[in-house]
Amino acid sequence: MSVYDFTAKTNSGEEKSLRDYEGKVLIIVNTASKCGFTPQYKELQELYDKYKDKGLEILGFPCNQFAGQEPGTNDEVRQFCRRNYGVSFQIFEKGDVRGETAQPLFKYLTKEKKFEGFDKNHPIAEKLTEALKANFPEYLEGDGIKWNFTKFLIDRKGNPVKRFEPTTTPSDMAADIEKLL
Amino acid sequence: MVKVYSITNCPWCDKLKKYLKSKGVDYEEHNIETNEDDLKECIRLTNDEAVPVTTADGKNYVLGFDKTKIDELLGI
Repeated sequence: MSVYDFTAKTNSGEEKSLRDYEGKVLIIVNTASKCGFTPQYKELQELYDKYKDKGLEILGFPCNQFAGQEPGTNDEVRQFCRRNYGVSFQIFEKGDVRGETAQPLFKYLTKEKKFEGFDKNHPIAEKLTEALKANFPEYLEGDGIKWNFTKFLIDRKGNPVKRFEPTTTPSDMAADIEKLL
Repeated sequence: MVKVYSITNCPWCDKLKKYLKSKGVDYEEHNIETNEDDLKECIRLTNDEAVPVTTADGKNYVLGFDKTKIDELLGI
């Protein structure tokens, strides 16, 4: 079993097998299409620009399960939407990533790579944990996706290697990406 | 007339519109994804492509769903 056993629809509705990415290093990430931790879109694009010639591909899966929620008093979660981040990597169709209705790919990824806690040094970690406790306490249990921009790093054979929580900024993944390239 | 610049599938735009309705504020919605002129106008006003933007006079505006600032801007 590897990520190559899954298919997904691109945002233009075309069915795509992940086997098309065989031999590439992949980042699979659930995105909030326009809100939430969206500044990470920009950093992901920077990673893509830097490493795509060496074999990195980024697969973004927009999900509304987290985006539409009011983060309460958490003013660091941007409370506006942005029209365009200049993203050129592949974006897939909007779908669920956690719970019963999650896409099979995400069920597989969260089974392979479990939740090991947020990076406590990240400025938003504490606020995110508090917001989750207050609004979605059940999200904190188990290995499901906790929030937007959970990133899975996949090696050139399709095996999930590492999971990064929303509290890891994409630029901090560079060393791990380089190891696989 | 109050103008709201928005995009499609933007939860904060939806919250803002709901809020204005609840306060009985009449507004025109301008979707900057579907209308080039609205996009240009919004960029001219805010120097950015972020929404929702609320303005009454085309000069002063509030970016985002910030109730306190919106109340202040519109005097509600």
